[in-house]
Amino acid sequence: MKLERGRTAVQEIGRGALAHEQTSEFETKLMRINVGPQHPSTHGVLRLVVDLDGERIVRLTPQIGYLHTGFEKTMENRTYQQVVTYSNRMDYAHSFGHDLAYVLSAEQLVDAKVPERAQRVRVLLTELNRMASHLLFLGTGILDMGALTLFFYTMRERERILQLFEMVTGVRMNYGYFRVGGLSYDLPEGFEEKTRAFLDDFPAMLDQYATMFAKNDIFVNRTKGVGVIPPEVAIANGLTGPSLRASGVALDQRKAAPYSGYEDYDFDVPTSTAGDANARIMVRFAEFEQSAKICRQALDRLEPGPIKDPDRRISLPPRSELETSMEAVIFHFKLVTEGFHPPRAEAYVATESARGELGYHLVSDGGSMPYRVKVRVPSLVNLQSLEAACIGGLFADMVVNIASIDPVMGDVDK
Amino acid sequence: MSAGAAGRAGAKVTALTEALAHLGAERADQLSGAILMVPRAAIHQAAATAREHGFDLLLDVFAIDWLAYPGHRGPRFSVSYHVHSVGANERCSLRVQLDDGDALPTVTDVWPAAAFMEREVYDLFGVAFDGHPDLRKLVTPEDLEGHPLRKDFPLGESPTLFNDGRFLDPATFRAGMIGTSQGRTGWIGGARKGVVSTALEADGKGGDA
Repeated sequence: MKLERGRTAVQEIGRGALAHEQTSEFETKLMRINVGPQHPSTHGVLRLVVDLDGERIVRLTPQIGYLHTGFEKTMENRTYQQVVTYSNRMDYAHSFGHDLAYVLSAEQLVDAKVPERAQRVRVLLTELNRMASHLLFLGTGILDMGALTLFFYTMRERERILQLFEMVTGVRMNYGYFRVGGLSYDLPEGFEEKTRAFLDDFPAMLDQYATMFAKNDIFVNRTKGVGVIPPEVAIANGLTGPSLRASGVALDQRKAAPYSGYEDYDFDVPTSTAGDANARIMVRFAEFEQSAKICRQALDRLEPGPIKDPDRRISLPPRSELETSMEAVIFHFKLVTEGFHPPRAEAYVATESARGELGYHLVSDGGSMPYRVKVRVPSLVNLQSLEAACIGGLFADMVVNIASIDPVMGDVDK
Repeated sequence: MSAGAAGRAGAKVTALTEALAHLGAERADQLSGAILMVPRAAIHQAAATAREHGFDLLLDVFAIDWLAYPGHRGPRFSVSYHVHSVGANERCSLRVQLDDGDALPTVTDVWPAAAFMEREVYDLFGVAFDGHPDLRKLVTPEDLEGHPLRKDFPLGESPTLFNDGRFLDPATFRAGMIGTSQGRTGWIGGARKGVVSTALEADGKGGDA
């Protein structure tokens, strides 16, 4: 470009643009933006291809599979008891939920009779885990909107729950504590007192959170009316869990088809009719109280007793018998090397995980490994509602929507 | 305990069964719940009928490869549509059987939720869905050949080498553990390959492994 003396290149280009505007009509083009997979607000490795018209989202396509591990194929090549090692690795934020869903289906196959104490402990740990999962959701979700402080508070409480889990299982993640037919071993001493102490402290923490974000004008204005999903759209897109309940559909498997004795517990299912990001966050916030309520009831009803189905065909014999009974040794050996053989059948038990309906569809061919394992993971299906929430909204609100739908990528990709 | 599945098929499912009878649908219930076997040609119509009967929430679409199932006769694959009625709190599965290479009509027009689920089946089993708006792989890498959840897809584990030059192939090793004959301890099942009691074989009872 030949420049006139004293004129800079920028001015020259500016002149050109002006001339263009005068001669032809000003056109806008859709802009395609790639978000992720490495992006802090995507809670893992979620990649979104977004078409933008200015600041408004026109189209949004999730690209997933970065964490695909082939869990289903692996499970089809492990014995029924070994599958517990893998099930909790999908949704690492609500591991006990996955363990519970798997063992319930496997127990349906072998018709196991799970003792009362084992059921109570399962419910107790699953609900504590739901609280830990929601704490993670709340901390990181609000963090995505720019509020750093709450994250430290929720992590502090989550730490206490994780310490309880560490006390029981020895690990802070991927617990693998449930067994087909009961639990792997009994609760340690002092666990009940520590859990009670935590549950006693928790309501005060909730009040603190409420002042920090729920009553905060910045938060309310940031989330009210953002990403509205009407109930019929939510159902059509297969949305389940707290996100669906925020759209006014009170579907909770713990009430709709109680399992593990949930019918004996007194709790409510929080719902909202707004269907926006604020409602999705506040419904989960209200679930803290209900989960704590269930935990307290489970603790109150925790009686000493057996923790495993006594049926030798599925449960290991007690250690003490191995030294005196040859038969016990044989059963032990067979269970460890080969596992048990459920009859030919298909089983599925729907459970309510922290994210929605979770269930393991198991097909048995009479062998010691499941012939087919199909995991109905909530996060994958819920992700389909993200587009409905985001279309027509601002690009900046997309982050709020992802946070409020709460996908865990391990759960999405399996 | 397993109260979850029992009692979730009531009047709505019965009404749907009757409504689908003229299409040739039959009930084949399992522990997992009510299953309606639908002929392949009628699946889209059956899905639309189920939607009209109030089964508005599509929970899952999944396939089963029956290739290695002992004693299985008939088409290789089956695809199930697990549906739930929010209003009536009832659920059932529509199931269709198909051979390798057969395609199914998409149900994304009936339940938009099927979009990801059908892509997952397409990716992992190679069952195509005609009319799907965006039929691409969902989770596996673009350059991966084949469909991993098919029973003839190799596991890709490395064999273990022992000092004396003996190899242990993990897949064969584990396959030896799945048996269907009565073991010594009252199990329905055999023992590991090679360990199957030679005593039983000598008796002429034999092991299956």
